[in-house]
Amino acid sequence: MAAHKTPLIASVLLLAACLCGAQLKLGPAYHLAPTARAQTRPQRIVSIVPSVTEMLFAIGAGPRVVGVGNFDTYPPEALTRPKVGGLIDPDIERIIALKPDLVVVYGTQSDLRTQMERAHIPVFLYQHAGLADITTTIRELGSRAGNLKESAELANQIEADIAEVRKRVAGRPPPRTLLVFGRDAETLRGIYASGGIGFLHDMLEAAGGVNVFADVKRQSIQATSELAVARAPEVIVEIGVDTASSKARNLDAWKALPSIPAVRSTRIYQLRGDGMMNPGPRISASVRRLAEVLHPQAFK
Amino acid sequence: MSDPCLTVERASFAYDAKALVLSDVTASVSRGALVGILGPNGSGKTTLLRLLAGLVSPLEGRVLLDGTDMRTLRRRDLSTRMALVPQETQLAFEYTVLEMAVMGRYPHLGAFEIEGPDEIEVARDALRQTGTLHLESRWFNTLSGGEKQRVVIASALAQLERRLREPFSSESGEEGSRNRFSEILLLDEPTASLDLAYQLEIRSVLARLNESRGLTVVVSTHDLNFAAGLCRELILLDRGRVLAAGLTDSMLEGTLIRKLYGVEVDITTNPRTGRPTVVPVARAPDAHLS
Amino acid sequence: MTIGRKIAATYLVFGLGAVVTCLLAPLVGSTTIDFRRVFDASVPFAENADAQIFFVARLPRVLAGALVGSALAASGVVLQALLRNPLATPFTLGVSAGAALGAMLALTLELSSGIAGFSAVPIASFAGSLGAVGIVYSLARVRHRGLSTNVLLLAGVTLNSFFSALILFVQFLSDFTQTFRTVRWLMGDLDVSSYAPLVAAAPPIALSFGAFAMLPRSMNLLSISDESAASRGVDVHRTQRLAFLSASLATGAAVSLGGPVGFIGIVVPHLVRLLVGADHRMVLPASAFGGAAFLVACDTVSRSALAPLEVPVGVVTALIGGPFFLWLLIRHR
Repeated sequence: MAAHKTPLIASVLLLAACLCGAQLKLGPAYHLAPTARAQTRPQRIVSIVPSVTEMLFAIGAGPRVVGVGNFDTYPPEALTRPKVGGLIDPDIERIIALKPDLVVVYGTQSDLRTQMERAHIPVFLYQHAGLADITTTIRELGSRAGNLKESAELANQIEADIAEVRKRVAGRPPPRTLLVFGRDAETLRGIYASGGIGFLHDMLEAAGGVNVFADVKRQSIQATSELAVARAPEVIVEIGVDTASSKARNLDAWKALPSIPAVRSTRIYQLRGDGMMNPGPRISASVRRLAEVLHPQAFK
Repeated sequence: MSDPCLTVERASFAYDAKALVLSDVTASVSRGALVGILGPNGSGKTTLLRLLAGLVSPLEGRVLLDGTDMRTLRRRDLSTRMALVPQETQLAFEYTVLEMAVMGRYPHLGAFEIEGPDEIEVARDALRQTGTLHLESRWFNTLSGGEKQRVVIASALAQLERRLREPFSSESGEEGSRNRFSEILLLDEPTASLDLAYQLEIRSVLARLNESRGLTVVVSTHDLNFAAGLCRELILLDRGRVLAAGLTDSMLEGTLIRKLYGVEVDITTNPRTGRPTVVPVARAPDAHLS
Repeated sequence: MTIGRKIAATYLVFGLGAVVTCLLAPLVGSTTIDFRRVFDASVPFAENADAQIFFVARLPRVLAGALVGSALAASGVVLQALLRNPLATPFTLGVSAGAALGAMLALTLELSSGIAGFSAVPIASFAGSLGAVGIVYSLARVRHRGLSTNVLLLAGVTLNSFFSALILFVQFLSDFTQTFRTVRWLMGDLDVSSYAPLVAAAPPIALSFGAFAMLPRSMNLLSISDESAASRGVDVHRTQRLAFLSASLATGAAVSLGGPVGFIGIVVPHLVRLLVGADHRMVLPASAFGGAAFLVACDTVSRSALAPLEVPVGVVTALIGGPFFLWLLIRHR
């Protein structure tokens, strides 16, 4: 499997969040109250969630990470750790065999959670939410993992970077934007766009854009061609789309709907690359990339 | 006795390479005859009937209809001269009685032709002949066993009716010699799943049709008394071979029955019906039944 | 009323119903559009949002619904007659499982090189369906040249199970986005947003309908029994082959176009039989038209009910199909 899976996986986790329906927690990601054992700095951490794995390495807890998820590919050191499964199929035996003292679990993985509780292994619960929750999570993770200083630095840096982007684009008229994170190659079928809540939406707003689907109170929505025309975005940004076929062919599909302002003015952009959709430490870079595309003038 | 209309000449048949179901069978059915193919289960009765109907071709030998090898006849010719009434008719869909009868007319219609009022009248007339016209709007599946069989016989009659399409081709009765083709009704175990009353009904319908319009009737059955009551001739089939063939009275004879069924029987003539009655008495010592 | 008139009336009434539904459907949607503007030739198409919604977003979708709906309903009728079972569906014999496997593989392996503008998924899906048909057909061909319907059914059921297992395996190997995409594909999606897929799906479906046109009388006879049909002059083997292959072809093309939308192949024929009786000369055309109207109507609900959200059309047909069968069951008691 190629390296560009991660953004897709992250998008998947996002979709999983909205698919599971009820879990629209937009408060800070929560975690279990630490047990007596977890008062000391955890020495063997297992993380199945790609963005949290990134966070762990970024705050300096990397050496103490003993197991990662199947789709955790960043940073490169993560690839050296044993893999313990994915969102739908965490390998519980393997996790337990690694003798962890902290396991990062995704909010919907109730089975895994129960198993960890039974094995008396402390868990750190995480679930995708808004942009601000990323830094909140970093701080909480720092507290749990015993890297308070580094996590505070990282969180502050991220917040500062994002604030800087906001400053740059402030005052400029925000273009109506369609943020697409999934589409069947070469056609306009199966278009999935960011809805009005979630970190993708927050990213878009921070980058100085207006989400055409801001009114939809869901993290994602399937945009039919009718909706795309009706919402008339001025800019279309595609992230995490299929990279196997040539760029040119991929964007041609939009030509079927020339009444969309973005198509007429050819303001359709593809932001490829790992981490674009990952709500992790690299999020500020993603916000910046987005802003550069929406307001090129502000970054000259 | 008039000329033969159905002839089987030294026919053999097998469904697969393992065993011959029929071997070296020679038999003949005359026009206007009422013939019964008699034998225990597994003797090849149904297969012989299917051979006669042209549904399967013999591996060896041949089957002739009105003197012509059936393999050379067109499907349409076969189906307008012979009609088969299967043992049971179970419908998956709710056809009405009239629709069932009208389906008998399909072999006469052109490729995309739709039956007109004339064809419908033929179908209704056929229903009338079997006493089922009053059921024409009923759904077939809601009828009793006897009624169902009579409707299926009616649809077979409708199938055999050629006077609409070939007005000069056949007249029944004494002008048999003017007939170019015969009308043959084949029935496979027509009373197997019927109550006694319905058995009598079917018997009388068949006898009446045979008498009034010279319909040739071939019935396969394992019911000795039904055959005795209805048929004028019998073909005894024993494990795929013809044991004997001839008039009913000659065929219903102790030695033959013992050979065929492995049973000692008492054969008497019933004073009320005037027909032979066969009563099984005991297993024969040299019984060969499996 | 003679049968000829009844048949003509059936074509007229159901045909009209289908045409009216297809004319009204593009007028309805999640967005209000101005119809004068849609047909206003003075506005260049590239700037006419209303026209684009009508001609690019809605019309192809309605036509796709008509094509898929009529193909699935008609195939359902043909297979029910072939198998002598009113509970048979176009998916009973494994065609849609093959199509699903093809689509899954295309989505999972992320095959993106389509051919001449058609994306890989429908092509792979159609190829999968043809493969399934080939397998079932060769399994069912018994020594004596014919198609044993029992073996056909068994082969179809076996293939369904086997392919479903393969599908699950492919899903297991794929990452979550792909799994989601494949699950979504299974729910049906008529938003083709271009005429190309319609042009691609039309020839096999038209071919099948050509074959269907020759079948109704034979189907009446065949649906009673092989023997009855044979003794009435039907070439049973040829008719079975024609019925099976044409119904499978239509189903394969329909599923490749819109995904395996369920219940049309069984609800519509049932309803039609309640209205016109069992004669296939009426049931077949009425089901074809009825299927078109039914699916177009469901798709209209699918894109309007929870606007701007879209309820997958297969979910809508299932939500209708379930209670329908419950009602049938109660009615029959």
